[in-house]
Amino acid sequence: MERWALVSGLRGDLDLYEQIQADIKKQRGAAHLFVLGDMISPNRNCDALLTRLRRPKRSDLQPNCIYGWWEEQLLVDYGYRGDQKPDVRNKPDGATTMQHLREAVSQDHLNWLASLQFGFIELDCGLIHGSSADVGDPLQETTSPLILLDRLTRLDVNRLFTARSGRQFRLQLTGGQIHSKVKDHAGEEQRDQAVPKRTVIGIGSGENYTLYDPASDRVEFLSVAVRSRRSNLGFG
Amino acid sequence: MAHAVISCLHANLAAFQAVLDDIDQQGIKTITCLGDLVGYGPQPNEVVELVRQRAIPTCQGCWDEDIIDGLNACECSYPSQLAERRGHHAHHWTADRLTDDNKAFLAQLPTTLRRDKLLFVHGSPNSQHEYLLPDMNAFAALERVETAGAETLFCGHTHQPYVRELSGGSIRVSVQQRGNEQASEQEMTLPMRRIVNAGSVGEPRHGSTKATYVVHDDNTGDVSIREVDYDVAKTCRAIVEAGLPDVFAWRLSHGFEYAERAEDASHVCER
Amino acid sequence: MQQIWLITGPPGCGKTNWIRETLLNHGGTCAYLRLDGSTKEGLELGHNAGIDQSWLRDQIPQLQDLSDPAPSSQLSSDDHLVLIEAQQFSAPTPSAEGLDPQITQQLQQFNLTPDRTLHFGVDPELPKQDTLDFTKLEAWHLDLQGCVWDPNSLSSFWFELVNGAYGDVYRAKALMNMPDGRSFFCNWMVSQSGSQFLPLQSVVPPTGRPNRPSHLVIQGKGLIPAGIRSTINDCLLSDDVLELQQAPLREQQPNLQPTLPTPA
Repeated sequence: MERWALVSGLRGDLDLYEQIQADIKKQRGAAHLFVLGDMISPNRNCDALLTRLRRPKRSDLQPNCIYGWWEEQLLVDYGYRGDQKPDVRNKPDGATTMQHLREAVSQDHLNWLASLQFGFIELDCGLIHGSSADVGDPLQETTSPLILLDRLTRLDVNRLFTARSGRQFRLQLTGGQIHSKVKDHAGEEQRDQAVPKRTVIGIGSGENYTLYDPASDRVEFLSVAVRSRRSNLGFG
Repeated sequence: MAHAVISCLHANLAAFQAVLDDIDQQGIKTITCLGDLVGYGPQPNEVVELVRQRAIPTCQGCWDEDIIDGLNACECSYPSQLAERRGHHAHHWTADRLTDDNKAFLAQLPTTLRRDKLLFVHGSPNSQHEYLLPDMNAFAALERVETAGAETLFCGHTHQPYVRELSGGSIRVSVQQRGNEQASEQEMTLPMRRIVNAGSVGEPRHGSTKATYVVHDDNTGDVSIREVDYDVAKTCRAIVEAGLPDVFAWRLSHGFEYAERAEDASHVCER
Repeated sequence: MQQIWLITGPPGCGKTNWIRETLLNHGGTCAYLRLDGSTKEGLELGHNAGIDQSWLRDQIPQLQDLSDPAPSSQLSSDDHLVLIEAQQFSAPTPSAEGLDPQITQQLQQFNLTPDRTLHFGVDPELPKQDTLDFTKLEAWHLDLQGCVWDPNSLSSFWFELVNGAYGDVYRAKALMNMPDGRSFFCNWMVSQSGSQFLPLQSVVPPTGRPNRPSHLVIQGKGLIPAGIRSTINDCLLSDDVLELQQAPLREQQPNLQPTLPTPA
């Protein structure tokens, strides 16, 4: 079985993407690339990266993309999600940020972004930008285990790969239980429920990415050296 | 001190009056309502006006929300075309009949109410459409209460009353961070929390035609589920006289829900 | 040697079921005819909508339908068995000479004379069923040719129907079409526990509305036809919805083409 490369937070940086592609090739056995959202940002023109993701070079590992927080802001702003207003517009510089984001992404890419899924379910693993509760859910290793377990339960997966927080971590639920007592008109029932053996993996963001081997369940946290200095990251 | 929690009145005046009589007879002064004042039943204005007259703190139910916002429930809500058609018919009938004043009242209802460590919601703290069933994953149930910062969560929406206590819980984790070879072990002890479902006053689905609600004692923590007989035939006559489908009267008189809900109650509407 | 048997009995006693079993066990060729039956004051017959014929021919493809005017190309074997079914409320009395005159008249139209007659509740050869004693019975029926049901809606409607939402229904039977091309024989009798939902063996491709018999026949008291019609209307799929449900099924069978107009 081949390894997965999990990437997020490219934010329009085609150089970074090419570096990561090259780095992955140096690792052995990585054949599946998942890009978990935040491919765009308001801080640079994203068209070149989006074009490359949509039409990969022959030498590229084919990317499988889902939408993330920034994509959601853009799609909401363009009306793809009904009458909602994007969260960004509630912030002090929200209008300016949204204007930059619109300028950073050609409308040619909108339909493609709108066609992306919320997440992938592969081999009992959930691959998602935030969580199924919210695309902006910043799950990290310090998040309450009760919340992490809830997010795993919502997707009904054994492993949840998340990118929103930008953190790289592996948190395994190793034990525990709870007692439930239910009383209704028919009587009373009691039962114990054990914590299932499940895992949440933060895959990182930007230059930090993750390799995962489904066969051995091994996780490797990696980074590429960033060639150019990146400017102010702005919101998110 | 004892207080009563009622839910899902569904425009059933006779049932609502019977429940209020039952509450009054016990000398209970504090009542909280978990929404769905209207929907399917024949007396939406009368029920809303009685809630307003009695000044009962109320949170907004899914039906109340749909009357204000318009029908945009996701397709998952109804398991069949028949249920969907009946639901939509009831929605339009109710929206046509509710006065603007009563609609304005429903529009300003909060989605949650809080009193000390008690939280009152229609469906769940996340959504008016999420069902908290008595057999849902216990950890997920605890998460709903704990994340909302409550000790006891009162909910409705399912029309089946129950009291669920979640106790003795713990979760152990092993955390590996980037750069650390060693994983750290941690244990989280979970607090005891409760979910109390008030059932339904106007459209019971627990296998009987009796209206249900709950009484909770703040001091002792005791919760009792109350069942109240009411003149079902009176509401059935009102259904027919109001021009609602006769089959609604048949369903109510047999203790069936007006329209079936989707089987996958764990599904949370994404809208 | 050809044998012609007449099977009579009140509604829902199990005539068609017994006939089906007998025909399946019969080695030679066979034929079937359902007569309109014998009425009695206050007791309306269930409409002879072809439900039983369609069901039996689906189960026994070689069965010759004597009500079909087109002559059968099949030759009769030496042990050709003809079973004739007729609804008859009251059992023939021992003193009565011959058959009920209404049934005799119907038989004459087909030029048939039974070699033997069996009546449910009288003849020990037939299974003992709880046959109800009817004093008053109304009948109602609806042609559902070309109609396709939302399957979950059918379950709800049928539940309501047999549990009294539309009057006291003693007997209900139907052939109902599903969007995936299947058809179901739905059968209920108040004296039996539970309904039967039996899929027909023949399945038509999901390419629009099927051209096959579909009908609902009900007998009972205090029936509410307006309520039944209203609910059925809410259960049936429109062209648009039918196409939405059938298109993905056809994708799995690439050679099929839709017959409905494409929704705008």
